[in-house]
Amino acid sequence: MLMIGIDVGGTNTDAALLSEDKHVLATAKVPTNHQDPLTSTHTVLEKILADVSNNQPVQLHLSTTLSTNAIIEGKGEPTAVIAIPGPGINLANYGFDFPVYTVQGYIDHRGRLVRDVDKEEVLAAAKKAKVNGAQSLAVVSKFSPRNSQLETGVRDIILESGPEFHQITLGHKLSGSLNFPRRIMSAYLNTRVASQQIEFVKMLKAVIASYPNITDVRILKADGGTMTLDDSCVKPIETILSGPAASLNAALALSQYTQDNVVVVDIGGTTTDIAVVVGGKALYQRGGAVIGNYHTLVPALLTCSIGLGGDSEIHFINNQIEIGPKRAGMAICCGGEQLTPTDAAVALELTRLGDRSRAIAALEQIAYKFSLTWKELAQLIINAFTQQLSQAIDCLYHKLKQVPVYTVSEILAPPDIRPRVMVGLGGPAPVFIPLTAKRLGLPWEILPEHESANGIGAAAACSTVAITLHVDTEQELMVIPELGYKEQLCQKMLIDQPWVRKTAVEKLTAYASQIGLNDCGDVQIVEEEAFNIVRGFNTTGRIFNIRAQIRPGVYRVAGDSNC
Amino acid sequence: MTAQNKVGLIFFPAFDWCITPDHPEREERLLYTRDQILEEGLFDIPGIEEYRPFVAEDQYIQRAHICVPSVVQRVTEPHRIAVGGCILAADLVLNHHVDRAFALLRPPGHHAFRIVHGTRGFCTVNNEAIMAEHIRHRLGPHVRIAFVDTDAHHGDGTQDIFYNDPNILHISLHQDGRTLYPGTGFITERGGPAAYGQTINIPLPPGTGDAGILYAVEHLVLPILEEWQPDYIINSAGQDNHYSDPLTNMKFSARGYARLTEMLNPDIVVLEGGYSIEGALPYVNVGLILALAGLDYSHLQEPDWDQQRLQQSPMVDQIVIQTVDQVKKLWETRRQVDKRKLFGNEPFFTRQRTIYYDTDEIMETQLEQIRLCEHCSGWRLIYSTAIRSYGHSTKIAAVIVPWLACEQCRSAADECYQRLTDGKEKNHLHQVFYQDSERDMFLSEQLR
Repeated sequence: MLMIGIDVGGTNTDAALLSEDKHVLATAKVPTNHQDPLTSTHTVLEKILADVSNNQPVQLHLSTTLSTNAIIEGKGEPTAVIAIPGPGINLANYGFDFPVYTVQGYIDHRGRLVRDVDKEEVLAAAKKAKVNGAQSLAVVSKFSPRNSQLETGVRDIILESGPEFHQITLGHKLSGSLNFPRRIMSAYLNTRVASQQIEFVKMLKAVIASYPNITDVRILKADGGTMTLDDSCVKPIETILSGPAASLNAALALSQYTQDNVVVVDIGGTTTDIAVVVGGKALYQRGGAVIGNYHTLVPALLTCSIGLGGDSEIHFINNQIEIGPKRAGMAICCGGEQLTPTDAAVALELTRLGDRSRAIAALEQIAYKFSLTWKELAQLIINAFTQQLSQAIDCLYHKLKQVPVYTVSEILAPPDIRPRVMVGLGGPAPVFIPLTAKRLGLPWEILPEHESANGIGAAAACSTVAITLHVDTEQELMVIPELGYKEQLCQKMLIDQPWVRKTAVEKLTAYASQIGLNDCGDVQIVEEEAFNIVRGFNTTGRIFNIRAQIRPGVYRVAGDSNC
Repeated sequence: MTAQNKVGLIFFPAFDWCITPDHPEREERLLYTRDQILEEGLFDIPGIEEYRPFVAEDQYIQRAHICVPSVVQRVTEPHRIAVGGCILAADLVLNHHVDRAFALLRPPGHHAFRIVHGTRGFCTVNNEAIMAEHIRHRLGPHVRIAFVDTDAHHGDGTQDIFYNDPNILHISLHQDGRTLYPGTGFITERGGPAAYGQTINIPLPPGTGDAGILYAVEHLVLPILEEWQPDYIINSAGQDNHYSDPLTNMKFSARGYARLTEMLNPDIVVLEGGYSIEGALPYVNVGLILALAGLDYSHLQEPDWDQQRLQQSPMVDQIVIQTVDQVKKLWETRRQVDKRKLFGNEPFFTRQRTIYYDTDEIMETQLEQIRLCEHCSGWRLIYSTAIRSYGHSTKIAAVIVPWLACEQCRSAADECYQRLTDGKEKNHLHQVFYQDSERDMFLSEQLR
């Protein structure tokens, strides 16, 4: 099947067409229409499909900034949260910037109900939310991944006798991870952007209907994987930050290092993004994505962004050169007004761009003050750039090495994340990557600058989905919060780790096919723990926590593209 | 929400380590605590930072312990990680990276004595004692450190290690030793000749609740600390005064623990015991972290909290008030005591005692001689015989040079070590040790 990837970016909308054997057949680019991104999507799709015959089936992957922008710009549907915190941290101190109505109710850490919600109190809160302008609701209780009954209870009460809302998101459906404040924020944001996503998908489906050979449409997520259109209406929050994910996907798809530990460095004009790949898989952000001031539970790829780029400001402080973090504007050689690292590179003929003599003249002006030649100054600027970059990389890896772990074995034999190679992309990469890699003692690879790298990254993405299985044999209970699934277990003595693993894989496979992901890769157990529950001196049960995932990956895209 | 105080949290639940699978000190112990901390989102609060411990080398441990026959033989990797976590906690505070640090980790340590033949009271090496020695190594011999042990069991190990150390104050609040392991911690245990009065025990009657414990802290612990002016306060934060603890009989609550922490305002907190792993630890630890960070803990409450049931009896009120009065008087009159009467007129003060290792079933007999020196706290010689349950016995001697030792004591200690190791003396010793923590000199000689 052919693959089309479309990335709706801040400036341009990129598209790439991949052949069955993953060669780039065509790329296209149009300016993004911010008022109506669907129009530019349609245009670019039209362009790229021009060469495809009508009977060739195509799968379309779309990376949108719809939800990301709505969140950052504070748009979306007026939404309130009904929170059921029970005892603990005082929720009022979180200072959420959206309305949160607290009702009583208490689930403990084992998922046991300590106190039920009060119907009248819930109705009063819902009415208050409605009166104060909320069109949609998020309902979140503490420990709902262990027991969702308070969240579903509140929803049922409101559906039965409360005011009407467009959407009601339940916290446990979004993630099986524990973190009540993040669950509140995720559920809130999800609800806020849901109507917009539903509307978008409706219109998108109408557009797609006129292309009979597009058999399937997937939406790109923050973890670099894809989800179905219908799923994106239920969990639109997962579509945030898919642009950076598309870019990292592209690097992974185009690099010749597919199984190694790689540091991916994307050098732009204003910023440089660093990502970490271990054994061919990109690392995730611990805890979940952060967007604006919101900490969410959305699984996202880890990228560290620093204010260092080809067009950064250059500061001279105490005979030291510091670059960034702000952008100076266009390089002088290209008609700008402030000296930039690009000018230094052009002057030294490390790259060819604009008018070299203007760059040299600008360097001479400053070099004179420090009794240097322009060449010496240019070299110092290049050195400062690569030093700052290599420091940032070192710092990121140092931090990752310090990420807390909770077992003796992980302390004694930590996984080896050290990079073996540096993969660079972006305009200034050919100048700075070899020098930075040399500082760090790494071999390097520079990916050819691709007109529509993000389009390739979107096209090369695979489907992903994950579930969290929690089994508590003392309570004879199994729950999968993301599926809203709860089962009373019998024959608890027969339940062991292999059984739980097998069940997790089965449940996830069944779920994946239910939501239309029939083509996805292997299910993997990505997190796993098992504990005996001992009371007195008897083992009374076992607790298993397992996270099963269809791991995101990318199709390797052949480098010898002919476009 | 931002922490008022920057808190460094060294959380290490050691999910793959246990003493034995059904022992209270097992893998599961901090599982529910982890869940509660994660669910409350504590790690996302700006100002609360999580750190990863390291594996501590022998040197740190040798400053506080004499491990028989060696550190390697006694101390496993999990213990070294717990020690490393405590060293890191101290460094974070000393380097001003954080205002407070909390080593929320296991295995615990406060029942480990200076001489280590094995494990007692679930402890092998004393995390906070090792940490205190590390602080001294970084800041110099005059730094003053106060321990406040709020575990329900007497902090007998830490008391033992520093019992003759003039720059250390050790306060232990605990359930009365007549009713609970290790059966010590009476108000008459007041420290060695060079640090008399600086070992302070506050035994509380079974059934003491928030009112009693907070009364003792307010009317006794805080005034003593105020007077003694430590540079650092270390809280050995056992959580087994909690009303739900299966091994003790107290009535303390999670909010009570938080309030205690707020009042005490310790620089470093180290988890000790506490085996109500579901009903207490998740709530007590959240309370401790919030209190350390200066955040509101007033909404914290255990699922089965019941004010009426947790009310302490009038009888308990009375005993607590009496004990506090008594200990206060002892503290105030500590300098008026005639030490010659207590420790004798001989060149050496001698004491003999037995120490029982419940976890490893070892009976140890110690004969200890402390030089009564006018210039320093005096060198020490300890003969220790350990008999294991299966009959095997080990006899060792340890020569200990104190911090800030005078020249005479130092050379006397050196001579003693020479004499014991040169083989001329028929002393039936298996091994002789030499410990000079200030100079990081640790020697040992196998004789048999």
